[in-house]
Amino acid sequence: MKHILLYLFLLMGVSIMAQRTITGKITDKNGSPLIGASVIEKENTLNGTLTDTDGNFTLKVSDKSKALVLSYLGFDNKEIALSGGNQVVDVTLDAADELLNEVIIIGYGNSSKKNLTDNVSKLTTKDISNIAVSNFQSTMSGKAAGVRINQTNGKVDGGINIRIRGNSSISAGSEPLYVLDGMPLINVNESTNGARMNPLLSLSPSEIESIDILKDASSAAIYGARGANGVVLITTKKGKSGKANISLNISSGVSSPTHLLQFLNAAEYKELFTEAAINSLGEEDGKNEVNSTFEYFANGKTGVDTDWNKLAFRDGSQSDIDLGISGGDSKTQYFFGGALNKTKGILLGNDLQKMSARINLKHALSSKFTAGINLGVSKTIVERIDNDNSFTTPLQAIAQSPLSPAFNDDGTPNSNTLYANFLLEDRYASYTTNVRRVTGKVFMEYNFIKNLKFNSDLGYDLSDQTENNYRGLNTPFMSTNGYGYNSNAKSENYIWSNYFTFTKDINDKTDLNVVVGQEFNNSDRLFNSVTGIQFPSDNFTSISSAAEITAGKGENERYNFLSYFGRATLNLEGKYLLKASIRRDGSSRFGANNRYGIFPAVSAGWIVSQESFLASNPTLTFLKVRGSYGQLGNSEIGNFASRTLYNGVSYNKISGIKLDQPGNNDLTWEKSNQLDLGVEFGLWNDRISGEIDIYSKKTDGLLFRVPLPGSSGQAELNKNIGSLEGKGIELVLNTKNIKEKDFQWNTSFNIANNKNKIISLPNNNADIIDVPNINRIGQPVLAFYLVEFAGADPTNGDALYYKDGKGSETTNDYSEANRVIAGNPQPTWIGGLTNEVSMKGISLAFTFVGEWGASIFNGGGVYQSSSADYFDNQTRDQLDRWQKAGDVTMVPQARLYGQNGTAASTRYLQKADFIRLRNIMLSYDIPSSLTKKAGIKSARLFLAGVNLLTFTDYTGYDPESRNDSSSTGFASGSNFYSAPQAKTMSVGVNVNF
Amino acid sequence: MKKSYIYIMTLMLAFTACEDRLNVDPTLSISEDAATSSQENIQKLLLGAYETLGNRDSHGGYLQIFSELLGMDDQVSWNGTFPEPREALTKTMYANNFLIGEMWNNAFKVVSQSNLILDNIDKVKDGALKSTIEGEARFLRALCHFEMVRLYGGESKGIPLRLTSISSYGDDLTIKRSSTAEVYVSILDDLSKAIEALPTENGEFANKYAALGLQARVNLYLGKYKEALDAANTVLTESGKSLSASYADAYNHDVDNEEDIFMMQVTSQSGENQLISMYASEDNGGRGGDISLNQSFFDLFDGLEDERSTFYYENEREDKLTNKYTNQYGNVPVIRLPEMLLIRAECNARLNSNVGASPLEDVNAIRTRSNAKEMSSVTVADILKERQRELAFEGFAIYDIIRTKSSIAGLPYNDPKLVMPIPQAEMDSNKLMEQNDGY
Repeated sequence: MKHILLYLFLLMGVSIMAQRTITGKITDKNGSPLIGASVIEKENTLNGTLTDTDGNFTLKVSDKSKALVLSYLGFDNKEIALSGGNQVVDVTLDAADELLNEVIIIGYGNSSKKNLTDNVSKLTTKDISNIAVSNFQSTMSGKAAGVRINQTNGKVDGGINIRIRGNSSISAGSEPLYVLDGMPLINVNESTNGARMNPLLSLSPSEIESIDILKDASSAAIYGARGANGVVLITTKKGKSGKANISLNISSGVSSPTHLLQFLNAAEYKELFTEAAINSLGEEDGKNEVNSTFEYFANGKTGVDTDWNKLAFRDGSQSDIDLGISGGDSKTQYFFGGALNKTKGILLGNDLQKMSARINLKHALSSKFTAGINLGVSKTIVERIDNDNSFTTPLQAIAQSPLSPAFNDDGTPNSNTLYANFLLEDRYASYTTNVRRVTGKVFMEYNFIKNLKFNSDLGYDLSDQTENNYRGLNTPFMSTNGYGYNSNAKSENYIWSNYFTFTKDINDKTDLNVVVGQEFNNSDRLFNSVTGIQFPSDNFTSISSAAEITAGKGENERYNFLSYFGRATLNLEGKYLLKASIRRDGSSRFGANNRYGIFPAVSAGWIVSQESFLASNPTLTFLKVRGSYGQLGNSEIGNFASRTLYNGVSYNKISGIKLDQPGNNDLTWEKSNQLDLGVEFGLWNDRISGEIDIYSKKTDGLLFRVPLPGSSGQAELNKNIGSLEGKGIELVLNTKNIKEKDFQWNTSFNIANNKNKIISLPNNNADIIDVPNINRIGQPVLAFYLVEFAGADPTNGDALYYKDGKGSETTNDYSEANRVIAGNPQPTWIGGLTNEVSMKGISLAFTFVGEWGASIFNGGGVYQSSSADYFDNQTRDQLDRWQKAGDVTMVPQARLYGQNGTAASTRYLQKADFIRLRNIMLSYDIPSSLTKKAGIKSARLFLAGVNLLTFTDYTGYDPESRNDSSSTGFASGSNFYSAPQAKTMSVGVNVNF
Repeated sequence: MKKSYIYIMTLMLAFTACEDRLNVDPTLSISEDAATSSQENIQKLLLGAYETLGNRDSHGGYLQIFSELLGMDDQVSWNGTFPEPREALTKTMYANNFLIGEMWNNAFKVVSQSNLILDNIDKVKDGALKSTIEGEARFLRALCHFEMVRLYGGESKGIPLRLTSISSYGDDLTIKRSSTAEVYVSILDDLSKAIEALPTENGEFANKYAALGLQARVNLYLGKYKEALDAANTVLTESGKSLSASYADAYNHDVDNEEDIFMMQVTSQSGENQLISMYASEDNGGRGGDISLNQSFFDLFDGLEDERSTFYYENEREDKLTNKYTNQYGNVPVIRLPEMLLIRAECNARLNSNVGASPLEDVNAIRTRSNAKEMSSVTVADILKERQRELAFEGFAIYDIIRTKSSIAGLPYNDPKLVMPIPQAEMDSNKLMEQNDGY
């Protein structure tokens, strides 16, 4: 009762208490006033004010009040002790050591960089804003050590692949867990056209305040069975106490492909194919064969020389506009934001439009009770094109003969081409995907006593994706008078987290923080689709107009997680840091025999620079060593991977049952044990600072779709068999090269090496071969396993292969040559280098990224670079074919229908090392003296670029593009008519009111 | 304040009591116990086996396409982009040809489905139904074993023979090849039991005459002409089937017609017709004519009045495409009456008998239907040529070459290049498997 009275008392505020008035001025150490700094009564945090434009404040406090807390962004907080009576206090705040005091979000709480015993990479607004890409993930590229970010290809909606410290898995999911404001995000590819799409496309970088990437076991272990691939924690923007800030960004840019592969022109094509036909069929038959074919291609025209490569691409563009309003007082803080993005892709027919809005609101009802809501809604519309392995995707146009006209005289696309003309699909078909997304959270925090608080968060995520496909009468392969397909995939995820946080300041420098909680996560997915044929005309494109419905789907599935977790952090004497955490996860995804798992982690750190022997060292101003060990799980094994599944099928409109998946009741998550040792250092007050980490992670119980002999009737069985090891080193170096008042130059460099190798495999370590890749012990995941190609036999032009790898005896009989390990689909080294130079309001920032050690297998090579095996247009390098005895070349004799060197070999494998100027921005801050007159706080003009320069020996389209038509295109390092990335130049303006 | 404490703690505890929420069952699928639990479900499993058989990798088309391309030289051209079927036409197949792998996997899937049905056949309580289901399962298994052993097996090396269902796929599944002779013993055993068990009427599903038709085909292949003759004659005399009025009527129908003995059923909603994909123009639902007909095919005919010699149309490239496959959702032929007539004719000719009818009568019955000139006498060679004219593109080419010990593309019938490689995936996952010669 007494408590409640006190509570009421507090609620009524200070007015009924005896009061005194404190006035003062807050400045930085140069004496400049700090505007909008917060001044709060320590004993009653509801009582506070902000400094005015001169840094002055006035606050009435109760008689009993003993101190004021002063805070300002970027400055250390300061407590001012109050004596009795009215008082004037003038205070100087010290600029915070930004790096070390940076708040790091660690899941169910936060920490500071200084006190962290984990390896976490943090990115903030400044790292990710104003980069002209259509998804937030690409903005992180090159900025976090050991984090590889790849967009599958140059489609605007292209899937994103992220690997944190390399692969931790072979067949289970390898993507990190994304957590938005505490809620695990739905990250399921719902594309139904065969091309992987980015499920997080709708999230706008403009609503993100920070991204914290949890890389080691100690940090990710709090996410237990879902943490093995690392965790990406996204924090959305929040309001801050103070006058409303209105921020407006507008930018607009143009884009083009990074690089084009070169193909033969009409004359070269004729020459090569005539030669190839004569070689295969003899002079007369050969000429007859090609001449009739050339005549067919020409379609009645002469002098045609079509550049199909050019037709597939166009000038892209991108425009962005976003508006953010934030502010608040000591009780309520708000952020409202909205963003629009319109991207015209570099491939014909590929467009993106998205709009998003967010409101984040937090209110302190009392000094004990805070509640709030975060709510984001978005809509994304994508005009999509076919997957890479489809005749009608734009880039497959490069297979067409240059002798074929693209269009007829009447302007309609020519349908008499070697392969289906994608222009027909472009003109007479549409594929529109709509994604609607709601991410919301209501949360409350209650402080029982000073040291104990309780948080309850209820998060909700809805992803609703519809796809509408209509293929008209004139599209290729159309035999049904039109074809329509509609689908709707709806995934809903709710998560309820409840946790207590206990903090205890044992003494000045020693504190304890304990978190204990529980969480329930439910995820439901609904999928419906319908397919219809026989439409009255192309004017009718909705399924309701289809005379015949040929297919329909209705599916629902669910998974649940029930988890308990705890974490204790002890900071002893400001020097010794200890942390231990544990999580117990249960999931419906795991087999009945293996449903629960416990995931522990421990870590420790020692801030050596706090020791007396280093405390006054002027050179080594910060030194911390830390280490962590923990166990994580990977539950991305599918919802029913353990079950024996018999599915319904239909034969002649009669239903049947068929074994779809053989089951395994022992199936469970993959377990990953990780050890991380790190050193963090700062020299000369962080003029140079950095981090070095070495880690070792071993994943056991790898999920495998163990290939079964086809003679058993089933192709695969899910098993937890095998283990994989990843070892690596990461180096981060930040330097403040020049730190003058008018001239600053900062450099940030990171490089990471990751070597993974398979330790054990199913069936007594038997190789698992999926041409052209292999999983073999001692080798990296999905290493290339190919016959080594040896070029053309100088005597007769036959394709030669090495019998047992490079340097061994050669043969022209492919079946005599043995496959060897020929490359790695993943890079072993990745790095990033960012420079920021600013001088008198002009800033230049740029980031280079690099990858080394990966190879790409061109699955289209057998058609594109095949010594004129078939009439597909050939890459220009095929002109260097063997022609007469003695010719030494890597291109075997051109032989039409001759399959001369077309079998899978290293002929189509290439190293994909590259360095790329990922982004660059030149900006100019308009002097505030000018902007103030217009009522503008600040304004900045900028010129920005993405992927402007690439340095590589790779001759294909793009060393960063992979096949999007298979779920393993990225993992297996293959490319199949995969579009290059976009290169974008944009101009823009940021204004703050 | 204490009260809120307790309230919240209770709330949390209430939440912890929901561990049974972790029992989430799939809504789209059932378990093996459920699938084999009842008579109805065994019947449905059989439907599943037909569905698998109709997959493009088996009798939905690739089996027929590969057997045809492998047995032809310049009669057809391969214009398609897939290098895999072209490897069959050029007789340069590789063990990693993924279609050769898929054909293998799918046929063995049907075998395993049949095994599961046969192992659970006692759950079918209705006697007549049990007999029919058993007969159908044996027919399907024999059909797939027969296709596999003649495509992938040589004169002595057969295919793996597994005649019981697999209780756990986690067990060791390696298996060695049985001899070709052992495989045929199993095929003929399944067929004689199927003939015994199957009814004479079974809708669009395999009946007694389908099994007899297959038995005739198998025996013909093995050179057991007497047995082939008897089986074919039984079909011809007892099945009530008759030749359709014209050659064109024999193809592209949605519902089985008077001469169809066993067909894969295709509708716009289910079933696959890869023959359409590869033989038909885009307007007819194909890929535009991956396989086109050349002059040396037309040279087989002795006159343009023979409708079969003009049974083609031209695509945009002016390539000649067969008219046999123009209905995208038409059923795919597996066993039809003309084959039975030709088997009877050939066996009678070889055995100098006239069982059922004389060879000349049977051949002329087929010829007159297509308005071809009647023959005055026939030899075995004439009948073999008539098979090429009548059954072209239906998947007989390579088998007729091998069984008659003739040659194709300069390769003798027993050249290893005419036998498909054991798929690389099988070699990689089954250590007991032995590769065919030449791969």
